[in-house]
Amino acid sequence: MEILACPVCKGELALQVETEEGDEVMEGALYCAQCNETYPITDSIPNLLPPQLRV
Amino acid sequence: MATNQDEIKRFVQERYGARARGVIELAAVQETGPADADACCESDSGCCGPADTERALRLYNEGQVAGLPAEAVAASAGCGNPTALAGLKAGERVLDLGSGGGIDCFLAAQQVGQSGRVTGLDMTPDMLALANRNLTTTGLSNVEFVQGEMEAMPLPDASVDVVISNCVICLSPDKDAVFRETFRVLAPGGRIHVSDMVALSPEGPAQTDAEAWVACVGGAEDKAVYLDRLQRAGFVGVETTDEDLRFDDEGVPLNVASVKIVAHKPA
Repeated sequence: MEILACPVCKGELALQVETEEGDEVMEGALYCAQCNETYPITDSIPNLLPPQLRV
Repeated sequence: MATNQDEIKRFVQERYGARARGVIELAAVQETGPADADACCESDSGCCGPADTERALRLYNEGQVAGLPAEAVAASAGCGNPTALAGLKAGERVLDLGSGGGIDCFLAAQQVGQSGRVTGLDMTPDMLALANRNLTTTGLSNVEFVQGEMEAMPLPDASVDVVISNCVICLSPDKDAVFRETFRVLAPGGRIHVSDMVALSPEGPAQTDAEAWVACVGGAEDKAVYLDRLQRAGFVGVETTDEDLRFDDEGVPLNVASVKIVAHKPA
C-alpha cells in the first residue's frame, strides 16, 4: 500500500483505515491531497482507477 | 482502431470478468478437487486462445505451477511465461501489467523472495477478487493486487525494477500511454519483459472485430510499430527474443504472432 501513488498526479496518498485484519487493510481509502480525490479500498483491494473510469 | 477506447476497455473488462467468475464458481462446486478449467467458462475467447489448464501447462512447465492454486492456473490467459525469461533476482521490485488470476505474480514472488515485492495491476474487479483469493491460498506475503489502468499507473516514478506483462498490452487501445507509464515507473536500468501479440505486417490482423480484440488478435498491431513505440517511449536495447505464428481454427494464418520482447530503461 505504501508504494502506491495517485494515478492522476502520481503524488503521495494518505491511508485511511476503516477495518483491518492483521496488518492488512480490508476497508478504507487512499486520499490524494493534491487532487482532493479519495480512492476506495474494498475487500483489501485498492481501486486506483482514474476517477472518470471508476463505476 | 476498431471502436472507441472506452468501449474496448469495457468489453475487455466484461469478458475477463466473466472468465474470473467462471473460475470462482467452478472452484466453489469442486472445493475439494483441482479445478477443471475446460468446464469453467461459457466462452474461451480469452487472450491468445482457449482458457484451459492444458495450454497453461504448455507455457508454464509443470514444476513451476505445481505449488500454485489451480484457480490461478485456470484463469491464466497469457501467451507466454514472462517470469521464465525475466531472470528475476532476489530483492527486485516487480510490476505485472494485467495480473489476472495472479499466476505470473506468484511465480515472480517466489523468485524475488521476501526482500523483493510484486505488484499486480488489473482493471477487472472479478479478476482482482480471484487473484486475492488465490493469494490467500499461496500464503505469499510479498504480493499485492491493485485495481488500476496500465495507461495511468498508480505507482510513483522509478519505483520498480522489472515490469512483466503476459499478453495484455495488445488489449490496450492506447499503447503509447502504457509504454510511457512503464518507462516512468521503472527505475533507471530497469527492464520490461513482455509477451504479447503483434501483427506481422502493416496490414494488421486478419480479424479486427470486438471479439477478435478481446482474443488479443484484433488489437495486435504491426510488430515494427509496436517496437517503435517502445523506442519512442525511451527504451533502449529493444529486442524480440521469440516469435510464434498464430492460425485460426481452420489453419488459416491470422497474420499475427505471439512474441517475447525485452527492453531497457537507460541506467
